[in-house]
Amino acid sequence: MLELSAAVAGLATGGAYALIGLSVLLTYRLVAVVDFAQASVGAFGAFSMVALLDADLALPLAVLAGLVVGALVHMGLGLVMVRWFAEAGEGVKAAVTIAVYLGLVAAGLRLFGTHPQAFPKPFDSPAATVGGVVVTWTAVVTMLLAVLFAVLPTVLLGRTRTGLLLRAMSERPTTAELIGIRVPRLSLVVWGVAGAASALGIMIVAPTLAGDFGSQSMLVTPALAAALVGAFRSFTWTFVGGVGLGVLQGVAGVVESLRQYRGVLPFVVILAVLVWTRRRDRWDTAA
Amino acid sequence: MRTPLRLGAVLATTVLTASALAGCGAGSGDTIKIGAIAGLTGTFITEEVVKTAQRVFDDANDAGGINGKKIEYIVKDDAGNAERTAQVARELLDAGVVAMAGSASFTDCDVNDGLYRQQKISSVMAVGASPTCYASPQIAPVNVGPFTLLTAVALHASQKLGDKRICNFTVVLPGSEEAVKLALDKWERLSGLKLVINDLTVQQSGDLTPYILRAKEADCDAVMFNTAEQMVVPWLQAAKTQKMDDVDFLLLAPAYTDSVAKAVGGLGLNVYAGSEFEPFTSDSLANAKWRETVTRASASPTAFSQGGYLSAKFMVEVLRSVKGEITRDSVNEALKTMTPIDDPMMASPFVFGPGEAHAPNQGSKIVRLTGLKWAVVDDTFITVPND
Repeated sequence: MLELSAAVAGLATGGAYALIGLSVLLTYRLVAVVDFAQASVGAFGAFSMVALLDADLALPLAVLAGLVVGALVHMGLGLVMVRWFAEAGEGVKAAVTIAVYLGLVAAGLRLFGTHPQAFPKPFDSPAATVGGVVVTWTAVVTMLLAVLFAVLPTVLLGRTRTGLLLRAMSERPTTAELIGIRVPRLSLVVWGVAGAASALGIMIVAPTLAGDFGSQSMLVTPALAAALVGAFRSFTWTFVGGVGLGVLQGVAGVVESLRQYRGVLPFVVILAVLVWTRRRDRWDTAA
Repeated sequence: MRTPLRLGAVLATTVLTASALAGCGAGSGDTIKIGAIAGLTGTFITEEVVKTAQRVFDDANDAGGINGKKIEYIVKDDAGNAERTAQVARELLDAGVVAMAGSASFTDCDVNDGLYRQQKISSVMAVGASPTCYASPQIAPVNVGPFTLLTAVALHASQKLGDKRICNFTVVLPGSEEAVKLALDKWERLSGLKLVINDLTVQQSGDLTPYILRAKEADCDAVMFNTAEQMVVPWLQAAKTQKMDDVDFLLLAPAYTDSVAKAVGGLGLNVYAGSEFEPFTSDSLANAKWRETVTRASASPTAFSQGGYLSAKFMVEVLRSVKGEITRDSVNEALKTMTPIDDPMMASPFVFGPGEAHAPNQGSKIVRLTGLKWAVVDDTFITVPND
């Protein structure tokens, strides 16, 4: 019974993991960068929102400003990528984002402090009681937003002309540019949208998870695990991966033998997925 | 907005560093050098501790110094990084400090205990956190510390609040599991009760709701949780969501901050915390001198800055008691043979003494979250008896 309750409680965290995971996947699918800085960019936007609220700005304006900050910071990273690393391999690009991640965390801790911030909680009221667990509207909104984040890009990429252009851009950037697609401009828009999306995600989940900049930035680990479950391709499976990981962590919190391993579960998932997907690879074949 | 505060911090750091640098060049031999290790940058910032201690030493200097000699306070920033902690301790010893006072670093004790023993240098610490700080012949922290405080808040729950079903959730930092267990065992012996849940496997990540659900299912009257403010906020949020309105939540000193009060004060839960010293939010007479000092130091008034104030104050008194030349040896001797110093900010008198381990402060007051502020619940200290 307690396991069931914990699983239900885990759905909310899972929604959060899925949100950030889907943002990571969005960046990867559209501009071919595995972005370790995604959660910290989102945290930057979300904490800017809190700072503006402290300065007595109205909530809708503060949220909007936070999204813009998230978008701008991510576009800044995008600009660096387009300018200097357009032809670099995925490994190099990922390394650049790790450097940016570390920089953003250092800057974020300086600017916003190590104290927990009072995030607004507009969806704090209980929505339902399931299996003895009170589920808040925050959990419901997180889940709905995650579904939206999964469905929208799938439709956009599969069914629209813009999606086609975006796919061309991510898979063959030089060819796409040669046939007249304005790759740099389009990719900057993508960076901006993904940045704003992660800021929105963090804004919603921040009150339920540790409310300091460092902890929020760490959300990138379960998010990457979720994206890996989707093999960095499928939005649906990334969603499933994120939610599944949240549920798994919830259950692990109450099962005696698993309890102390709760924190490393994302890494176990990453390892398991890597081993499974590479099971047919041969060590002696060149990559 | 925090910007002016941050600017202040940067300025203060510059001033402190500058004065430390100036001290290195000139004046050696004419001054009494006291060292401290604190976090002025990084994730664990304790600059208010050393700023307050600096003010205490400046006041002593303004009053004529110690036998005509000025105290030179050398503060080194370890940025919360263990390698830096080791390095700056050696720099302080090279600079010729006769003792340490007002240190506030999470890594100092574990990293430098061996060095302090070997070099026979004593540290009157402002903020001790790891078990080593309370188990060294060379270190005596003025704060209660997380372990004795755990016993004290549990005693508050069982003795004052009349709670019977007490549950404990602890995030164990490396190397401190044994000390946590000893603290809880001590409470069980003193109260004659047994913990209903004792979960020492709480993780610093993810949603805390599963733990809250466990406590709810076990029907706990009181729930203890040890972590710092970042985790305390979602912990109480989750408890509120799961409607645990009639449970007593007991927290330790790291949660006794203004930002926690601001973030979760509105939830209306029963939240208590141990305060380490006379509660820093209280305007009591006991705090008057400290408050005046911390204001003149332009430091933020926190429980940590109380530690800085007290450790510097005790160090000044001990230095005054030294007969003849002030050296590392004579300060050690004076600390070992000192008369216990009573201070209304502490539950028990401060004494260094000759022992192999020092934990002079054995009690705490308890504060309660009332609205968006912390208020003192009981005007007496809960002192943990020796058994």
